[in-house]
Order: sequence, then structure tokens, then C-alpha cells
Amino acid sequence: MAQDTQTADVVIVGAGICGSMLAHKLARNGLSVILLDAGPHRDRDQIVENWRNMPPHNKSEYDYATPYPSVPWAPHTNYFPDNGYLIVKGPDASAYRQGIIKGVGGTTWHWAGSSWRYLPNDFRLKSTYGVGRDYAVSYDEIEPYYYAAELEMGVKGPNGQEIIPSAPRKNPWPMDSMPFGPGDRLFTDIVKPMGYDNTPVPQARNSRPYDGRPQCVGNNNCMPICPIGAMYHGVYGAWKAERHGAKIIANAVVYSIETDGKNNIVAMNYYDPDKGSHRVVARTFVIAANGIETPKLLLLAANDRNPNGIANSSDQVGRNMMDHPGIGMSFQSAEPVWAGGGSVQMSSITNFRDGDFRSEYAAIQIGYNNTAQNSRAGMKALSMGLVGKKLDDEIRRRTAHGVDIYANHEVLPHPDNRLVLSKEHKDALGIPHPEVTYDVGEYVRKSAVLSRQHLMKIAKAMGGTEIEMSSFFTPNNHITGGTMMGHDPKDSVVDSWLRTHDHPNLFLATGGAMAASGTVNSTLTMAALSLRAGDAILGDLKHG
Amino acid sequence: MKKSVSKAGASLRHFLLAAPLALLGPSFAHAQAPMSRGHYLAIASDCAACHTNGRDGAYLAGGYAIQSPMGAIYSTNITPSKQFGIGNYSLEEFAQAVRHGVRRDGAQLYPAMPYGSFSLLTDADIAALYDYFMHEVPPLDQPSPKTSLPFPFSVRASLWGWKLANSIVQSPYVADPRHDAQWNRGKYLTDGPAHCGECHTPRNLSLAPKASAYLAGADIGSWRAPNITSDPVAGIGAWSAQELQEYLQTGKTVHARAAGPMAEAVEHSFQYLSPADMAAIVAYLRTVPPIAEPGVTAPNFSHGGTPAPFDYGAANARRDQSLLASTASGAVLYEAVCASCHHSDGKGTADGYYPSLVGNTTTGQRNPNDLIASILFGVDRSVNGHQVLMPGFDGNSLVQQLDDQQIASIANYVLTHFGNAQASVTPKAVAMVRAGSSQVPIAKLADPKVLAALVLAGLVVLGALVLAIRFAIKSRR
Repeated sequence: MAQDTQTADVVIVGAGICGSMLAHKLARNGLSVILLDAGPHRDRDQIVENWRNMPPHNKSEYDYATPYPSVPWAPHTNYFPDNGYLIVKGPDASAYRQGIIKGVGGTTWHWAGSSWRYLPNDFRLKSTYGVGRDYAVSYDEIEPYYYAAELEMGVKGPNGQEIIPSAPRKNPWPMDSMPFGPGDRLFTDIVKPMGYDNTPVPQARNSRPYDGRPQCVGNNNCMPICPIGAMYHGVYGAWKAERHGAKIIANAVVYSIETDGKNNIVAMNYYDPDKGSHRVVARTFVIAANGIETPKLLLLAANDRNPNGIANSSDQVGRNMMDHPGIGMSFQSAEPVWAGGGSVQMSSITNFRDGDFRSEYAAIQIGYNNTAQNSRAGMKALSMGLVGKKLDDEIRRRTAHGVDIYANHEVLPHPDNRLVLSKEHKDALGIPHPEVTYDVGEYVRKSAVLSRQHLMKIAKAMGGTEIEMSSFFTPNNHITGGTMMGHDPKDSVVDSWLRTHDHPNLFLATGGAMAASGTVNSTLTMAALSLRAGDAILGDLKHG
Repeated sequence: MKKSVSKAGASLRHFLLAAPLALLGPSFAHAQAPMSRGHYLAIASDCAACHTNGRDGAYLAGGYAIQSPMGAIYSTNITPSKQFGIGNYSLEEFAQAVRHGVRRDGAQLYPAMPYGSFSLLTDADIAALYDYFMHEVPPLDQPSPKTSLPFPFSVRASLWGWKLANSIVQSPYVADPRHDAQWNRGKYLTDGPAHCGECHTPRNLSLAPKASAYLAGADIGSWRAPNITSDPVAGIGAWSAQELQEYLQTGKTVHARAAGPMAEAVEHSFQYLSPADMAAIVAYLRTVPPIAEPGVTAPNFSHGGTPAPFDYGAANARRDQSLLASTASGAVLYEAVCASCHHSDGKGTADGYYPSLVGNTTTGQRNPNDLIASILFGVDRSVNGHQVLMPGFDGNSLVQQLDDQQIASIANYVLTHFGNAQASVTPKAVAMVRAGSSQVPIAKLADPKVLAALVLAGLVVLGALVLAIRFAIKSRR
């Protein structure tokens, strides 16, 4: 059936941040690596051009998907309008409308670069607060990998500033934070007397030249694309891996996985865009397709020996889907704020990331969204029927006064929050779409009552008018769960090294392994776990 | 310029010039304290540029690979290590090496070491340098890699004849009584320690500096060391003294930004020189006999450019069209790749953080190599603890990789809209700059085929001679 076979020490499926960084690490250490991605190569200049040419309406709605055209053989989500790729169901379906990008580099082509470490208590939620689950790895075990990822990505952070709570560090951040723009400054000053500490977010964004890339100058365009490369993207890892001899194959849609008598992975098969089939053979396989595509592939690739799906003897593949259910609020402040100076995300209120309350309800992160308001201001002013100077004045006024704030909640893993293969919908290659059923749970709903009060207090303090708060939970694209880690093969998919319990030579380098969602962006933790998996793979292949 | 560059695989137009990409190393930390005369001279002579191996290299411990057309020449350990450095050198032996290019063991140094320039150093300065090296530089017992160039360049002894034939070694500088002290100081620094002519003076076929074209501009690997004679059009005659001094000390003026090897010279050396010495260099350069260049009709910084505002109509027409990767339109590529910083009108930011491409010496040169090299390799300059970086767009770029055609299109768009419209760039020119510029004829000697052909030709001539002589002898009988 296979038309050709390619062989390497390691085959990695998914050239996003985890797969690419891992590919770089393995190739640098002398292993031959094939890095597959279902989507195409992408080019910064083209993305910039696509973004500039997008209709104003899309910009005002924060459409970050359209600059990255979805391809028929590897569709990804786009909600402008909804292309129906990701099917969401359940009481909080709206909270799982995730934005993902397929293609070499993956979704970190557009992100704010927020690169937090999780708190030690996030790793032992169950033992500390009696809810959720514990990671199979401790904070201390992952600390060196956090730092390695920070160095690779070029993370700037509030060196010298004491923030409570925060994750302990053995080394300073590779770069210092950048100064706040006017919006973040004003917001920080206003919430301070209310007891909220608004502090710099660690971000993979250059505050000085780093790794041959320039310093951020506040284009305020991190999403959908940093036009100058000051921000880290997963694609850098892929390119660096290529320089160390790794082979990148784009437009390669893996659809089946071959196992042997010992349930080792023998080969994978992928389709090219014309549905020609190709086979890749390796000693070790890694699926790094993050929290949606990884479980989807494992379920899709079920075979005779693994009838419920690859790595799924526990029936936990696709379960425990998590993110950070959000509540958004927008209003017009009394004073001009001028959102847009600096990057789209610079600061965050972290007082509520941890505490005894977590045994009762979700920890939260409250933040100020510094995305420039001009597109929304323009659309709104136009809709008011204004013309001429009045139109100009209204656009200017709204651009200056518009404020977006949000609260993001940690969510507990629940087996019924589940991803399955759609029975009705298939893509151009005949591969089923993913379908997620989602309910944020009482833990979040209880917390959200307080979150709404926090947001309302802040809006009032800023003299807010035209206050609008989302009545439903919003997604945050921090996809976790799905292929959860644990010590017990009966209720988890991978071990602390991201090795699947079922298949000794299969690793899942994704945020899906994360056993608790915490309150902050999952990317740095995914990257650190993946680098740690790299050590296990090197151990197997170099010394094993 | 003080030294040449070695971007990946760059071959130099000649192998006399060293090429560290080295950023300012930590070694210069001790340059902040009140410094000895010898230390100051070591900075003015930019020893560390070649003898320290890049950012992370140990100070003056060598190991830097100077890419020459003949192969890599490794700089040596010049710390006072007795085993691996110059710890056993006497003052006389030190002077022989620095001024005459002769090693302690009598071997000839490759002229990557600019001893032609350094031969002008006075006895007192040589002694001060020697003191600095022996007593202030920490010894490091670390070997440097061996240089092994292909035959015939492996025969170091041949350099003896080269030096002699080209009068490379000069006498120590003697003040010219027709000029004042400042002028003399300026000439001494320019021709001696700062060795400006090693890059800015073109070379003859045997790679010796061409005296008739003193400081008239030359290609250095991928880059162009421009004409710095006093010619008001082709040279720096129209620059104000203040601008020249600002440029040398900071690498930045309204009209010019130092990139490539010149950025290194500013970073490692000029920024640390005293204002009086800088003024002396500037005063002297003002008097260098002007040399015009054919085709150069206006100073490099004076090209006004044509405004090129963003064309919304054209942008809309491109919507949803084919990939930029397949376009050769300079306008389209400029908007996508360059305009985020330099702006659609090419004027950069008002504060100059992003320089204007209009009225800029890099876009105003008749020879576009600096423009091409800046796009390929970027600009990287650390002055006064502040690093300025424009990313490169070559195959190593993480920001955006561009092919030869795309860079040619962008360069031509920039030249016609913001810079010197008389200049133009072909994809082939980009390929050459990418590879490190054109090959030097003499380097072809290292090609076995060329060498074999020459040897064969020599044998034929020799054979003919022998026959002729025999015939002559016979006839005499």
C-alpha cells in the first residue's frame, strides 16, 4: 500500500513549538529526524500581506485565522465565518472554539508570547487542595527544562521584581521586561489601590536583540503576526533542526500507525495533498500535534491490536479536555487610555493564581488586553452613521478610551469533557473532524461569580461606560488535557517523560499531557515537558 | 574600515584583512578603567578584532578563522602564555612580528596581520604595546588551530619576496614638518594603528595596496569599503567634520549607519578613542588627495529619492493572490518585508531608531554591495553598551529568508525610490555578495588544475629554453 518509505531515528508528527523544539534538540544531539506537518510551509511576509489586506470588519473582531489560509487536506479552525472544522457541543460549547494553525511552525505563528511557568502547586493540585489531578512530574524536576525553553525562546521577564505568587527560579530570565505602554501603566495605577497587583507577563519577545532577531518596538501586532520577528515562533526550532540535518516534510497528513507484537510503533503512514500514501519508519515516534490533533490522530489510527485507538488502553485519550474558560469585558473609560502602545499583552493581575480557595473554586488570572482599539473604534463609529469630522473624532475618542479586560479560569479535568471523531463530518482526505463536548463545571462557575465582580469593580474604577461583559465563557486556546500524564497506566496516557504507557517507543509531546490547567498560558510548560521528553528519547537511542 | 568580514563562507577579495564578526566581548570591560598607553594602542590597532575568537572567545587567545580566498587563516594566541602565546618574545622579537611580519622562529606571517600598516608604529609605541601584552594581558595556556593553506600558499617563505617586491614594510612614522601636530597625529593613526587603508585602499594583482588609489575605496569580501578621500562627490569631502567624528565614534549619523566590518571597527576600536584622536583622524582625512570615481555624480548621502506611499489600490488588487514567494515585484516585497520598520515612504521613524533609506550612504552608493550585504547579513553594532540589530535576510535568517531574485528586486526598488537610481542590482550580484564576492585571480593558484596548467606552461617554457641554449651552444661550436 505504501508507495515509498523514509527512515530516521525519530519521526515527529507536528512541527509546532513542541515538535520543532524537540526536533532541534534531537538533531543537535546527532539523531536523524523527520519532522512532519499536516499543513504547508508559511512565510512571514505573506502572512503580513494577508493581514494587511483583510477587511476591517475581520480585524475589529480579532480574526487571527484568516491570514493563515486553511488547506483542504489539513483544515484548521476559522470562525470568520465558522468553517465547521472543530465541532463543539455541550453546555459550554462556546468555550472550546479554539484557534489553531496547521503548517510548519504551528499556532505560535500568532500568540502574544506569554511564557509563564506554572506554580509548584499547579503541579500538585490534588495533593494540595484535594481537587483535580497531580502531574506525574514535580516543579523541581521540570525547573531546568523551563529554563532551557526560556533560553531557546528568548523570554523576557520581570527580573528583580518580587511578585507573589510566582514560580521559583534558579536563573534570571534571559532578558528584562520592557516598559509598559500607556494603557498598561494607567490600568496598573488604577487597580493598585484596589488591592490588585498588575505585573509584567514573562514573554518570548525580545526586549533587546536576541538570537539574531531584533528588539520588539511595539508594532502591537503579535496576533496575528509579528511583522519583524521580535517574537518567538515555533518555526524557528524547525528551521534550526533543519540546519542540523532534520528533514521537514510539510503537507504530510499522518492517518495510520503500525504496531508490532510488543505494541511498539513500527511505522506511520501519511497522505500527501493528493492522497498519495507514504510510509515513515523510525526507532522512536513522537506525536506533537497538541491537544486537539494528537488525540484525534490516536483515535483515528486504531488498529487490530489497539481497537480503542493508539495509546488508549486507559480510555483516557481525548478525555479531560481543558483550557482557560474566560470572561471578557469591554467598556469606554473616563480617561483616555490609548491601548496599543507596546505589545498586545504586557501585564496581568496574578493575586488569584493560588490560594486555599482552590479547594472550592477556580484560581483566576485577570488581565488588561492592550490590543489597539482603532479597528473596533472605526467599525463602531461607522455603524453610528457618522461622517466627516464627527466620524474622525469618534474614531479617535473610541481608540483612546476603549478598554478590554478579561478573567481566565483554571478548569478541572473531567472525563466527560471529551474529544471524539465526528461521525458526520469528514475533510477532503476523508478524515473525520474532531468533535468536543465541553462543560466548564461548578468549580469554574462558582469562581466566575467572583470574577464578574472583580471585572465590574475595575470597570467602575475606570469610570466605565458602555460596559459589556460576555455572558458565556470564551476560549483561550490554551489546550490541555486530552492525553493526560500520570503514574497509573489505567487512568492516564503518558508518563512523566511523555512516553505512552502502551507503546514504549511512542511519545506525545503536547499540552495534552498537562494534568492541571493552572491559570496561565500553557505554552512554556508544554515546551519544557517536550524538552524533558527529549532527554528520555536521547537516553533510549544514544545509550539504550 | 579596519578589517574585513567573514559571513558564512565569505571569501575576501584579498587575504590581508581579518574578519571577525566578533561583537564587543567582555574583554573590553577593562577598557573602562584608566588605561595604559599600550592598552590604548592595542584598542586603536584593534588587535582583538582578529585575535579574539568572537563574542565568547578568550581575550587575545586567537583561534578566529579569517576566511581568505586561499582558505582559513587562524589567528594566533597573543597572550603572554609561554607555551602557546608570545610569552617568550623579547621586545625586538615582538617588533619584528608586528612591524615586519616575522615570527620568533623566523617564519613569515601571513599578511592577514596588517604589518604593512603596523610598520609605521614608532619605537615608543611598540614598546608600550609590548609592555601591555606582557604585563596587562592575562596569559592563557590554550593552543590556537594550525593554519594550513593549500600549495603554493602553504610556502610561507614566498611572502618574503612578496613583501620586498611590493615595499610592504615601511619605516616608523616620522612627523612631516610641513603639517601641524594634529595632522601628523591623524596621519599616524590612520595609516598606522587604525590601518584604514587595509580595507579602503584597493589592491593590485599581487594584492598589495595600490598607492595611486590611496583610500579610494575597495571591495572587502561581501562589503564595500567606500572612497574616503577628500573628494567632495565620490569621497567624504562634503561631510561635516562633526558628522565624520560622530560616525566614527558611534557608527551612526543622520545620513549613515555603520554595518559589516565598519560596524566592527566602530564597536571594537573607534568608540574608545579619545575625541582629540578622532578629531585628528578627521582633520587628516580632509587632506587626503581627492580621487573621483567615474559615474559618481553626487555624494552618497545626497540622493533624495522619490516618495513611494503605500498604494492601497495595488494592495487590494493583490488580495488573495498567489504567494509572495513567487513574486519578483520589489514594491510588493518591500511592503511585506521592509516597510514594517523603514515605512512605506522609506523614511524610517522620526527618531531615527529605524533609519531613513532616503539620503542614506548605504542606498546612495554607485556600488550597491553595501546595500546588498546589509539586506543579506543585516546590521549588528554595539556601541556604548547598546546593541543595534537589523536582522539579515539570508539563508540563516529566522525572520525571513529571501532568494537572490527577491533581494535584487527589493534592492532595485530601494535604489530607484529612495537611493541612487543610477545603481542597479542583478540576482547574480546578490549571489556573489552572498558567497563573499568575486574570486581573486591569485587565489586561483590554489586550484590544482590552474596550478598544474601553470606548471605545465612553465615546463614548456623551460624546455624551450633548454633547447634554445643547447642550440646556441651547438651553434657556437
